[in-house]
Amino acid sequence: MRALRFALVPAAIALGVVAYRIQLDNLGAATTPARSLAIVAVAWAFVGAGLVAWARRPGNRLGPLLAAAGFALLLRQLRYSHDAGLFTVFFALSELSYALVAHSVLAYPSGRVVGRPERVLVRVGYASMLLFPLAILLVYDASRPLRFLDPTARDSLLLVWENGALAVNLQKAFVVFVWGVLASAFIFLVLRRLVRATPRARRILAPLLLAAVVFALRAVFECVFTFAERPSEILYVYLFWWQVAGFVALPLALLAGMLRARLARAGVAELVLELERAPPQGLRDALARALGDPTLEVALWLPERSEYVDASGRPVTLPDEGGARTVTLLEHEGEPVAAIVHDATLVDEPELLRASGAAARMALENARLQAEMRAQLAEVQRSRARIVAAADEERRRIERDLHDGAQQRLVALALELRTAQRRLGGSTDPELERILAASVDELQAAVDELRELARGVHPAILTEDGLAAALESLSSRTPVPVTVDACGDRLPPQVEATAYFVACEALANVVKHSGASAATVTALRRNGMLVIEVEDDGVGGAHADGGSGLRGLADRVEALGGRLRVVSPAGGGTRVVGEIPCAS
Amino acid sequence: MCDDPHISMTVLVVDDHPAFRASARRLLELDGFHVVGEAADAREALALARELEPRLVLLDIGLPDRSGFDVAGELAGRRTDVVLVSSRAQADLGRRVRESGAVGFISKERLSGEAILALLGRAA
Repeated sequence: MRALRFALVPAAIALGVVAYRIQLDNLGAATTPARSLAIVAVAWAFVGAGLVAWARRPGNRLGPLLAAAGFALLLRQLRYSHDAGLFTVFFALSELSYALVAHSVLAYPSGRVVGRPERVLVRVGYASMLLFPLAILLVYDASRPLRFLDPTARDSLLLVWENGALAVNLQKAFVVFVWGVLASAFIFLVLRRLVRATPRARRILAPLLLAAVVFALRAVFECVFTFAERPSEILYVYLFWWQVAGFVALPLALLAGMLRARLARAGVAELVLELERAPPQGLRDALARALGDPTLEVALWLPERSEYVDASGRPVTLPDEGGARTVTLLEHEGEPVAAIVHDATLVDEPELLRASGAAARMALENARLQAEMRAQLAEVQRSRARIVAAADEERRRIERDLHDGAQQRLVALALELRTAQRRLGGSTDPELERILAASVDELQAAVDELRELARGVHPAILTEDGLAAALESLSSRTPVPVTVDACGDRLPPQVEATAYFVACEALANVVKHSGASAATVTALRRNGMLVIEVEDDGVGGAHADGGSGLRGLADRVEALGGRLRVVSPAGGGTRVVGEIPCAS
Repeated sequence: MCDDPHISMTVLVVDDHPAFRASARRLLELDGFHVVGEAADAREALALARELEPRLVLLDIGLPDRSGFDVAGELAGRRTDVVLVSSRAQADLGRRVRESGAVGFISKERLSGEAILALLGRAA
């Protein structure tokens, strides 16, 4: 194939020279050296672009198609020969060059014509481009010059019935059908493809707009030549040179569009360097840039959960087949690593996808491990929060059981003892009265202790009235004077309970260790957090890890996604600050 | 307020536990109060209070149909005082005792004629 491509280069040059000479030698005043050379240059542009595209993307038929269109444009010039054989053969084949150009445009960029209307148009185009010239040759009258040809007579080797009027009418019908109907359909289909394309595809398909303009110019040119009595020179010159510019630019634009993938593959090298520097969350952006698809998404495979997740560990659903977005799966040693969700047009560039995927595989593996770790951490965090919530619920249940069970019985017993005291009032047995009074006092102490125990497990006032009331109640039972400033909003039960127990433990430490003369408790909402703060004017020197009970509370606060700090310089008082996330 | 409350003070006892109502009735009657009625829930308490116009309503906080805090204000009137009772301590109940319209609170195990009179004396 490579040898063939190399052989085609001198062939195209030689044929170009021949085509140039044939135009000048046969068309006389109907052409000029500049125009003849321009036509050869257009053909060479197609051949050159085709051969480059063919070399760069050997598996893509667009290259051979463009080269074939270029050769057909060169061979088309041989119809101007006055040699009957050359005239007959190359007049018959001459219009196929435009069918090949249209075919190349419709096959851009994959080399395959996609879409049923497009395929029908290509077939009808080839058929009419071949059949009309053949039909003309059957009735060709040498005395009636055909359009584009000089008046000197030529002989058709296919002539069966000389009819000049019919030949001219066949030419008119050809222009109406091919350059009226088919060219309009062609322009409509390429514009429709542009309109329907995704943003990324539209950038790649931009050369189609040029193709629509070029074919429109050619259609006007053909009509002017066929239906105007004598085309004005100025109109002819404008139309001719604009066409030349358009037809030279078209194959180059198609080639450039194809090479974008090549250039993007050069971007893969940059991708490798970028991935070394980029954090895992930058991976998506780097891939999106390398593949030219800003909508690209990366989904990482978590084997333990058998599902795809995004970089933060949230599950991702991959799109179905056949939509505007498609999925490329990346594997390592037979195991899925990640899925790239991208614009469906990237499927036309499998090497680019493979190269980018290979470059990104290590980074994706890292990102996958990080996502897995994040997902596990999130699960651990949820699990810790569930444990705290379950423990709180259990504490509430124990408090209710104590209240509804033992406490009620002791209260009933106390009332009975008081009743007994009344009944014995004024009796003659002072010892019995003393025993009863002592029993009442003992029972009262038992009830008080039981209440204290229940309160320590989970204060009812916290459940019933919320954190502010519970902190007020706590401060009233604390031997050191305590000032409370707490917001009265109700918060999630585990947040209220955690804040309460932080205050409870901190105040217990104030009483036991600080020697403080006063303390303050504040519980205020700030930036989506409940901030509980207990401050005293005591001796300081406390540590969160020092067996003060604060370590356990720090675990509890962290289980809810918060943190606990103890600031306690020696001699400077102690400040315990708990920050607990709370939804507004 | 009467000069000799032990003799003339009429009481309505409101609690959903029959055992507590019976114990409270016995104890208060021994202390000289006149228990004129018992109610097991807020609805019955409101009806009996209108009918009997007691001098005092001894009102449990945890009633089955409404909270004692909520119904205290409706029961308290020109001639009727309300004293809240509960097996919890006042420290466990917060400011709602003060805001309820009751003259005070007594933990159930501390219930006695003296405790009630001390509260009413403070309120008078």
